[in-house]
Amino acid sequence: MLRFTLNRLVMAVPTLVLVSIAVFSLVRLIPGDPAALMLGDIAQPDQIAALRVDLGLDKSIVQQFVIWTGNVLRGDFGRSIVNGEPVFALVTERFLVSAQIVVLAVALAGCLAVPAGVIAAWRQNSLADLVLVGSATVLLSIPTFWLGLLLLLLFGLKLGWLPVLGYVSIRDNIAAGLIYLVLPVMTLVIHETGALIRMSRASTLEVLRLDYVTHARAKGLSEAAVLWKHVFRNAFGPTWTMIGLILGHLLGGIAVIETVFTVPGLGRLMVDSILARDYPVIQGCLLLVAVSYVVINLFVDLLYPIFDPRVVAE
Amino acid sequence: MKTILIAGIASLALTGTACARDLVVAQSQDLRSNIPGVNRDGTTDHVMLHIVEGLVGYTAGGQVKPLLAKSVDLSSDRRTYTFHLRQGVHFHNGKVLTADDVVWNWRRYLDPATKWTCLRDFNGKGAVHITDVKAVGSDTVTMSLEKPSGIFLALMARAECGFSGIISPDSVAADGTFKEPIGTGPFKWAEWKKGQYVRLAKFDGYVSPDNDGKPDGAVGSKRPLVDGIKFMDIPDAATVKAGLESGVLDLAEVPSDLITELKRNKKIRVIVGHSSGKNLLYMQTRDPVLSKPGVRRAIAMSLDLPQLTAAASNGTGEPNGSAIPQRSSYYDDVQKRRLPYDIAAAKKELAAAGYKSEPITIIANKRSNLPSFQMAVIAQAMMQQAGLNVKIEVLDFATQVDRRRSGKYQIISQTIAPRLDPALLYEFFVGDKNKNASLMWDDPKAIALMNAAIEEADPAKRQAIFDQFHELMLKEMPGVFLYDMSIVWASTSKLVGDPVWEGNARLWEVSLTP
Repeated sequence: MLRFTLNRLVMAVPTLVLVSIAVFSLVRLIPGDPAALMLGDIAQPDQIAALRVDLGLDKSIVQQFVIWTGNVLRGDFGRSIVNGEPVFALVTERFLVSAQIVVLAVALAGCLAVPAGVIAAWRQNSLADLVLVGSATVLLSIPTFWLGLLLLLLFGLKLGWLPVLGYVSIRDNIAAGLIYLVLPVMTLVIHETGALIRMSRASTLEVLRLDYVTHARAKGLSEAAVLWKHVFRNAFGPTWTMIGLILGHLLGGIAVIETVFTVPGLGRLMVDSILARDYPVIQGCLLLVAVSYVVINLFVDLLYPIFDPRVVAE
Repeated sequence: MKTILIAGIASLALTGTACARDLVVAQSQDLRSNIPGVNRDGTTDHVMLHIVEGLVGYTAGGQVKPLLAKSVDLSSDRRTYTFHLRQGVHFHNGKVLTADDVVWNWRRYLDPATKWTCLRDFNGKGAVHITDVKAVGSDTVTMSLEKPSGIFLALMARAECGFSGIISPDSVAADGTFKEPIGTGPFKWAEWKKGQYVRLAKFDGYVSPDNDGKPDGAVGSKRPLVDGIKFMDIPDAATVKAGLESGVLDLAEVPSDLITELKRNKKIRVIVGHSSGKNLLYMQTRDPVLSKPGVRRAIAMSLDLPQLTAAASNGTGEPNGSAIPQRSSYYDDVQKRRLPYDIAAAKKELAAAGYKSEPITIIANKRSNLPSFQMAVIAQAMMQQAGLNVKIEVLDFATQVDRRRSGKYQIISQTIAPRLDPALLYEFFVGDKNKNASLMWDDPKAIALMNAAIEEADPAKRQAIFDQFHELMLKEMPGVFLYDMSIVWASTSKLVGDPVWEGNARLWEVSLTP
């Protein structure tokens, strides 16, 4: 297990290096000068040139990359061009805000979708299957920003049960913090449940058709035992992988949800930074997203043997 | 049980939104910093407007009047300004404002280490060179200039300079790091949750400058009437609308296409805020096609300005073909003149200029609070009526700025942020293109008139200069000014007072009824 983990971590290094190079160069290929944006329209060319020197933007991209990489290896991710804050602290703080929403939402979506998918597969072509698959397709098709706005209007504006806007950190006030999380989490749960129901149903159907399931039933095992011991454990693998992918994807990509619900998360930070051409923050955000992908996939792989004994982490 | 649950949730929810009588205002983005005039943008400036005050400030009509100063004297050689400070002005930390504080502030601003945005304007590289700042007694400050300037006070008062706000030296730590702005304004800095909100608290010790009982730009009566102001970062217009309708938000800028819908809601008041910002078609006069004044005049004559303005602004703007804003005291009958809307005359001008359907590209952006794209689309349709071959290129804002800075454009559908003195507005687009490629117009006569406006202080003589400048613009038409910016705000109907100035929130003399 330890060797597997170390191997995977070592294998992640080239991935992160490639991501760094791609991020660094692509960000600089976008037209737009952070110095000009920073100083606004009253700045003269000599002021912009001086700021470019201050920010190190007058150097070649290769030189800039070498300097940035060296700093990152020493744990210094630089400072935001826009507000001068240390990038690492800024990005991790915002990441944790996004993470609490995403992890909660994916966990809840998994808890709802996996049993629903198994039931749909077990009762294939029944009314239950039709309803579950139909609902999953509808949920999957609704754009999250629209769904979020509908929930905001219903629970915030019409019913007045939940706050329409604002954010309170759980660290400051647990109860209020949780209330502010309800709508963004609910939006994500509804959307992601659709995808997971379909995946869970498809993988369960595949397993249900295998000979050993028929054999287990022929032995006289109860349906519950067949489903739990023989079907679920073998069918859950692909869904578990999907959960990992969704988790990784959402950790860097809920800017729309964060914008609608005024959550100060990583997605909003990334969008704002791109618009302001805040290179160090964009690089920090994307690098963190890449690292989180790697870590989540490793975590998924390490837990895989628990659900599927045929797989061994070696 | 259900009632108890809802009440509990509501009380918990309110914990994070506002204190008891805060005025809650939406802003589309967070502050850059809390250092006035240093790391700034429009949002930062207009929060700082409530916290700091300079020696002088703008009136609603764009004139400059004393603010922390009681009066300003100018020496006979027009090189030395004497500022007599108002008595009894306190900083938010309770200390009394003295002449030494003003000198400390100006030395700090003029120190390159401060990185003041407007340093260049005052250190001799730009329009003004301050050679000396000194205290004369405890309530008088003199500032000496290398040569006379007509815009010295106007520069001091401008938003981009952080209003040259006078802060307490206690705002800066012993090691030189900035702690927080301790100003003299009607509200004081209270709390900043980055990415969420900024909260200002009422300054009970505030004393307004001399006034007639009404707010007047950044001067006039400035009483803080609410306990605090909470500026919340809400980037999404739909969320802003929900916030207004639910009553969580008291004031917010809204898209102009929501006017009709919001006016139907009796709990909401719609406010159209006019500003001195300018919307124009910014032209590259060195472009092979647009270098011909005839083509540029034909473009101007092809535009039905009232119709374009009404459509682009959703009926909130008024056409203005002058660079000088309609609310300026310099907006006279000469400034009201513009080329007529005349398609036949436009076609004649094009033929005379030898235009042969060469393509012309208008660059536009879709930033939600700017009418750039709407103006471009309508202008394109109108210009095509005159036989101009026009297409639109949509870019993001940063890329558009890059193109203007590099001079690589034909026409940009552009908005210029408010500049209350016309000479400061001219500086945005007039000058030597070889030194600054972003400029629009490098006609030597225009440059000479701009320089004259910068040096001249007498209002009557300045008016004559501005009128000559406008006449020259009508002849050369380096760009087409369309209309002054109008920004739509919505507030709760419980809000009393005039909460918008120059298109931005100004929240003194504003209160909330129960």
